[in-house]
Amino acid sequence: MFDYIGHTLQNPLPVTSGWLESLHQKARLGALGRKVSDESATESWKYSSLCALEENNYATTAKPDPEPDLLDKTLSQTIGIDKSNAHNLVFVNGLFSAELSDVEPPPGVEFVRFSHAEGQHLTSINASLGTMADKHQSIFRVLNELHLKDGMYIRVNKNVELDKPIQIVWLTTRQAQSYTVSSRVLIELEPGSKAQIFETFTSDDAQQNSFTNNVTELLLREGAYLQHFRVHQEQEDALHIGAVHADLYENATLKSFHLALGGALKRVDVAVNLLGEGADSEQFGAYLLCNDQHMDYHTSTEHFVPNCTSNEVFRGVVGGRSKAVFNGRIHIHPGAQKTLARLSNKNLLTSDTAEVDTKPELEIYADDVQCAHGATVAQLDELAIHYLQTRGISRAKAKALLSYGFVAMLLEQVPEPVFAEHITAIINHYFQRHYSEEGCDE
Amino acid sequence: MSKQALNHIINNEYAAGFVTDIESDTLPAGLDEDVIAFISAKKDEPEWLLQWRINAYREWLKMAAPDWAHVNFPKIDFDAISYYSSPKGMSDGPKSLEEVDPELLATYAKLGIPLHEQEALAGVAVDAVFDSVSIATTFRSKLAEAGVIFCSISEAVKQYPELVKKYLGTVVSQADNFYAALNSAVFSDGTFVYIPKDVRCPMELSTYFRINEAKTGQFERTLIIADEGSYVSYLEGCTAPMRDENQLHAAVVELVALNDSEIKYSTVQNWYPGDAAGKGGIYNFVTKRGLAHKNAHISWTQVETGSAITWKYPSVILLGDNSIGEFYSVALTNNYQQADTGSKMIHIGKNTKSTIISKGISAGKSSNAYRGLVKVIPRASGARNYTQCDSLLIGDTCAAHTFPYIESSNSTAVIEHEATTSKVSDEQLYLCQQRGLAAEKAVSMIVNGFCKEVFKELPMEFAVEAGKLLEVSLEGSVG
Repeated sequence: MFDYIGHTLQNPLPVTSGWLESLHQKARLGALGRKVSDESATESWKYSSLCALEENNYATTAKPDPEPDLLDKTLSQTIGIDKSNAHNLVFVNGLFSAELSDVEPPPGVEFVRFSHAEGQHLTSINASLGTMADKHQSIFRVLNELHLKDGMYIRVNKNVELDKPIQIVWLTTRQAQSYTVSSRVLIELEPGSKAQIFETFTSDDAQQNSFTNNVTELLLREGAYLQHFRVHQEQEDALHIGAVHADLYENATLKSFHLALGGALKRVDVAVNLLGEGADSEQFGAYLLCNDQHMDYHTSTEHFVPNCTSNEVFRGVVGGRSKAVFNGRIHIHPGAQKTLARLSNKNLLTSDTAEVDTKPELEIYADDVQCAHGATVAQLDELAIHYLQTRGISRAKAKALLSYGFVAMLLEQVPEPVFAEHITAIINHYFQRHYSEEGCDE
Repeated sequence: MSKQALNHIINNEYAAGFVTDIESDTLPAGLDEDVIAFISAKKDEPEWLLQWRINAYREWLKMAAPDWAHVNFPKIDFDAISYYSSPKGMSDGPKSLEEVDPELLATYAKLGIPLHEQEALAGVAVDAVFDSVSIATTFRSKLAEAGVIFCSISEAVKQYPELVKKYLGTVVSQADNFYAALNSAVFSDGTFVYIPKDVRCPMELSTYFRINEAKTGQFERTLIIADEGSYVSYLEGCTAPMRDENQLHAAVVELVALNDSEIKYSTVQNWYPGDAAGKGGIYNFVTKRGLAHKNAHISWTQVETGSAITWKYPSVILLGDNSIGEFYSVALTNNYQQADTGSKMIHIGKNTKSTIISKGISAGKSSNAYRGLVKVIPRASGARNYTQCDSLLIGDTCAAHTFPYIESSNSTAVIEHEATTSKVSDEQLYLCQQRGLAAEKAVSMIVNGFCKEVFKELPMEFAVEAGKLLEVSLEGSVG
């Protein structure tokens, strides 16, 4: 068994700019004496094994980029939405690629690389970085900082409404030796601003040997409105432990959509903190698993103040020998009266060798609230399959159609056609590939 | 509602909180193998049982008290507890009611538990357990006619050793968990029930548990075996005096439902919950589990209003094909009470079904958590579960939580879970008051309606008692 944290501590990053160095120092202290095995013994990792992380030496960071031309070709095949429809920021193996990105931000927006931050920007970064993530202590947040070479601070200025979405592409490629990608982005929406962020995690076609540890922090000031998409479509050998942390102030609105295709080990922690009255969070998510994949979504919606609303719907189609884990928590803090919170997790289990472990949690410390959660694990309706079969559709195709419908109804919640089309295409492709005649569900 | 009226009702005295002044044989505090040998010798137990206890004790020493439940309490000093206490002269067990100390009979009369058969509610046989000892079991001859064995477990060890040896620890093993291991080592008494093949038990069976002595723990063990095709309905009730210190109650209940049999197990738990400031009260750390064989049916119904802390997850292992498990619960917490309770349904056989209906009511500064597990293993095809957990919050200082674990590995299983949280709304109260109902009556009516699904599962006498108990514990907590 490979001691991931121990080796990471023994291979410190070369000294970079001053403030990143102090971030590394702080993280070193946080990681000292800790073990991945201690983390896996906690309730948070009850259903997910961290063994994959200890099978190879992931303790070093990526080597410099391969040739950008080559990457551009890869990107054009796998990138999220059409590049011309977005402001693009591309990271290759965790490092910012100026060649592949639109370096010039749109009016009213600032893109600041962590390694280049200074003056006013540095003050803003220091004031906010980690303040969201620190509310949920996890060793992987510490390790993210320990490995962080660079990152991106995106600020949308007051009352600015973006014309096009900002697309962030996190690309990993196969390297000679297995490695860690530590990536971080801090997005701040100033009061009254409105933006769309589309994050895609993707990889080239080769068998992957990367471990991505990504943290995305979203800071929504008063009245800000953000649509956030996060799509995981890395090749299935890529490991990923990531997190999204959001702080919502008064009347801020966050509408997020998560989509994940499985991998050897994929885990995403989503925490939404409702800190100002009138804040509203909507989260939709889907996971599609087959083969020996493992996907774990841990979400937590924290209602700190009164009069906030949250709604969360996650759906999964789980086949092959895969395992889906979902843990969705609604936490109503004392005094957070007049809260309206809902959560639903529905799963289709399409194979006897697959497993679903779901735990919707409610933790409530205020009485005048309306909270509800529900979870189901079931299979497709035999009558519905039969109905389609009587119309000349093969059994496999009928199952694919119905499974597609089960997930696709979430897409009705995606207001932007350009996003809806893109996500539909990914889901479509998945079902065509895996639920064909010799599909992975049987 | 006026603040005065509210205080009056909240401060409602715990009616069962008196102490019976009776001389007891109580073992000094502390636990080691000698104490276990003493308990075993006192009960004249066979060697195998002593060894069984010692094995449990050795397992217990290796274990740590579980800390995952959503409850807070200071660490228990297990050496400060006395592990055996019996009313003086009762060590050998009374031969008949005439030999029972009148003071004891008076205690049970005061609690409303009839031990004289002529006064007893028609159709309910009672086993009364006082501290560590079973003091009386009624209607034994009538039950014997039907072949039903209903006696204390100490007596069963002597008279039916094969049955006890065959089934004891088969559902909850000695090393199952920390408190079950402790119970296996020191259990003093409890109830034993055996229903022979194809017999429908002619009356309700009931055990009444009473903790009296200070600084003692009560560790009873109940074993119920329903042989093939039989049926039994069993009720238990519990109370304890009001004392400032916390007392430990760590019971184990094992149910064995053989093919085609049915066991209905109902509990009205009213241990002393501690005073309004959270001082004193019983720590109720109980392991209850049933094993359902082919076509068997096990149903747990509980109304939990007492105890400072409740840690209890009545479970059913659905081993046989077509077996059914049910759990109906009302858990009420007030003042500083804490409850972490729920159920586990383990689906192993094919076409097994389970239902969980849990109603949590929190008031005052209490915390009430539902924690449950529904597990379907790969071979349990056709398994079906429905879970519903509803919480009612009364006042803005209480807490209600839901932690349901759902694990499914079979593609033909259907599992549904839903939970809601609400309060007694001002609109509901206003509507009732407008129609001439006093606020207290209205709350009581709304709460009763909230719990209806569970109450209808209780035998009639218990349903009435449970309704009253809720009224006393809760009424008026709404301002």
